[in-house]
Amino acid sequence: MTATENAPSRAITARLRGVHKSYGPVRVLDLPELDLYAGQVIGVVGENGAGKSTLMGTLAGSVHRDGGEILVDGRPLVAGSTEAAAQLGIAMVSQEFPLVGQLSVAENLLLGRRPRKSKRRLLVDRAAQRAEAEAMLAEIGLSARTIPVSREVRTLPVPTRQMIEIAKAWGREPKLLILDEPTSSLGPVEAEMVLGLARQLAERGGTVLFIGHRLDEVRDISDRVLVLRNGKLVADLEPAEATEERLIREMVGGEVAQGEPKAPPATSPVLLRVEGLTADGLGPVDLEVREGEILGVAGLMGSGRSRLVHTIAGAQPSTGGRMLLGGESYHPRGAGDGVAAGIALIPEDRKEQSLVLFASIRSNVLVSVLKRISTRGLLGPGRERAEARKIAENVNVRMQSVEQPIGSLSGGNQQRAIFGRAFAAEPRLLLLDEPTRGVDVGAKAEIYKLIDRAAEQGMAVVAASSELEELLWICHRIAVMNHGRVVTVIDRADATKERIMTAAAGTSALERKTPDQEELTNGATA
Amino acid sequence: MSAQSTLAPEEAAPKSRPAAATLARKLAASPEAGVIIACVLVFVGIAANADTYTAVGNLQVMGRDLAQVGILAIGESLVILTGGIDLSVGALAGLAGILAAWMNVNEGMPAPLAILLTLVITACVGLWHGIMVTRLNVPPFVITLVTYTVAQGMALAITSGSPINNLDPMFSNLSQYYIGQIPVPALFFVGAAAVAWFVLERTYVGRQIYAVGGNKEAARLAGIPTARRITSTYIASAVLAGVVGILVIGRMNVADPSVGAGWELTAIAAAVVGGMSLSGGEGRIAGIAAGAILLEFITNGLLALKVSPYDQQVVQGAVLGVAILLDRVRARYFGRSRS
Repeated sequence: MTATENAPSRAITARLRGVHKSYGPVRVLDLPELDLYAGQVIGVVGENGAGKSTLMGTLAGSVHRDGGEILVDGRPLVAGSTEAAAQLGIAMVSQEFPLVGQLSVAENLLLGRRPRKSKRRLLVDRAAQRAEAEAMLAEIGLSARTIPVSREVRTLPVPTRQMIEIAKAWGREPKLLILDEPTSSLGPVEAEMVLGLARQLAERGGTVLFIGHRLDEVRDISDRVLVLRNGKLVADLEPAEATEERLIREMVGGEVAQGEPKAPPATSPVLLRVEGLTADGLGPVDLEVREGEILGVAGLMGSGRSRLVHTIAGAQPSTGGRMLLGGESYHPRGAGDGVAAGIALIPEDRKEQSLVLFASIRSNVLVSVLKRISTRGLLGPGRERAEARKIAENVNVRMQSVEQPIGSLSGGNQQRAIFGRAFAAEPRLLLLDEPTRGVDVGAKAEIYKLIDRAAEQGMAVVAASSELEELLWICHRIAVMNHGRVVTVIDRADATKERIMTAAAGTSALERKTPDQEELTNGATA
Repeated sequence: MSAQSTLAPEEAAPKSRPAAATLARKLAASPEAGVIIACVLVFVGIAANADTYTAVGNLQVMGRDLAQVGILAIGESLVILTGGIDLSVGALAGLAGILAAWMNVNEGMPAPLAILLTLVITACVGLWHGIMVTRLNVPPFVITLVTYTVAQGMALAITSGSPINNLDPMFSNLSQYYIGQIPVPALFFVGAAAVAWFVLERTYVGRQIYAVGGNKEAARLAGIPTARRITSTYIASAVLAGVVGILVIGRMNVADPSVGAGWELTAIAAAVVGGMSLSGGEGRIAGIAAGAILLEFITNGLLALKVSPYDQQVVQGAVLGVAILLDRVRARYFGRSRS
């Protein structure tokens, strides 16, 4: 397209041919052909899961590509080796800062190497280390007074750590600098500094890959904007073409697979009412969910989707506001209170938060009902197997026996088993966080059916998801979050991807607050 | 600094505070200072109540005891720094003493050769630990527990349970000599602490050990040979256990196969009291040395205070509990939290 055609003779920093990567059956990155030109800042945008991070990781060596060739300045890049990438001049600033908290700023900046000016081979030359660290910070425009290099890194706030990461990458004098949402944890002054550095490197003939979710920022800084969707490069735009509307349209895709618009069950009683709920990085939030209703929660990474769900479940402490569950005051002091009140939470990370992978299907699905199926606290193997089979068959888990390790099932089957476990506890309120993460397309549809069934049986469902199609498919209403608050609630009939994205991207960058930053340190959960 | 800047560290202007307050805060924020102060308080407190406590003879006893627990604690702490644990040090020290004595007495080797061979064997044990931990991902707890059991068993098997007598006088010379008034083993402790301090604080290898323990992934990405660094700490720990074993048989002039069991727990306690984090990457040699000294002050002090032997362990445990409680409280108030 345009950017490519206009500059046929430009020097190429990195040439990607047929690069692809799959996780299980899901192809998360598929780039037949992509050239990154020297002297450019290249913006990369896309929805969550569009393949941005995979692309970056592939270039930086932290993701092992399945196939294809990458040439950096004509030299081939070995797959999956961070050292090889570093040797070819690729540096990445990721959102999870690989810093050693217990060491000083200077030691982190020079981690794994000696100061260049030091003559000592074995002994630490603190003076030289200090001097070089200060010089590295000065290179990116920070004085030693702003960041004392002898401080332990963990005593410094998140934005400072981000700047240290940037100084570290900058100090390697990269040819290709990858910045993964570098400004999301920074204040405006530092954000400006980082953008300046990106420009500076481009002017020197380097290349910057700039991933961002503030579309205006990406467009302003970039000489070229790439849009990824479902692992594919769907648009390659000049900054002038890359209007916010155009980018959103490309990101979400032309046609939207729409489900049958569902009318919210306006007549059923309200099950959960949330008033002024606040928690770390959340709120205040007001919400209502009716029995038999599926409420979607949309928002960008760090918007507080997952926090909202966790706070309602009692898994994250609330700091204010109140909740009414079935008309009664509900104030959970832990996840146990949530369960006791009839709430089931299906968290986003199956492996870490839901399952004991090496244990049997039986012991995994019975966790929620042990008390009910036991007789005076005792359990028998026959009873257990029968109950487990009932639970698994209820949600159509395909298995050989309930005794096989649950980790041997496919992702979709595992997720169904988790739904079965949740249903077995007969909850009133079902909370979902990324209900179909890591599940292939066919299995997704079956999970949507389970969610529908839950609602038909009268459960209230709150589903947080980064996939808009999913929300449009399953929900009666969609609450859009931005910076810890619900900015709007859209009825299914009026909801479009564009409308949700616009609300989620929010307004100016200056209003950003600490919740996002907190979230970045936890490395985490949107 | 611009008003909008988010970079400033939370205590941006410490200059305005009085120097004494800054110093006090710094002291309070470092775990080492607390242990050192506790050492002084405990020593003064017990000395005031038991006149035998500060007698030269008793101080010398404490010095020799320190050579055992203290040296083990230093080796142990190196392993803990990388996030591992070495449960074998006590048993290995016991076995090392038996090996040295057996080679000397039963095989007729000259003492220096026996000592050298013993240290080489312990180094091999450490290497084995390191390889199992770094290459095969065996949990440190498990692999060193295996060594603990085997080492104890071998000490019994070699001796059939009875002590080895008639050691070369070199062993007892090593342990019973004094330089000035100071027993030689105490100097070994000081020497081991000094070397460990120097390596950890002043060499790249040492700083990389901290990095590996603090954030293994960051260390790996920075090109630090993490496996080699981890392995080296297991070797150091095992060799130091060997040194302790040799000093012990010299002190008692007999190699007793029942010696050493349980010492690893004292060593771990000293490291933890001295400010080590069991999750790795944190703690300084000064703190560990002080932790070992504190434990020795207390153990010996209970004898001097004529506390019933039946109550001593309870008191020791209670003191440890209080020390750790105070440290957590301190960490909570002064930011350098760890867990």
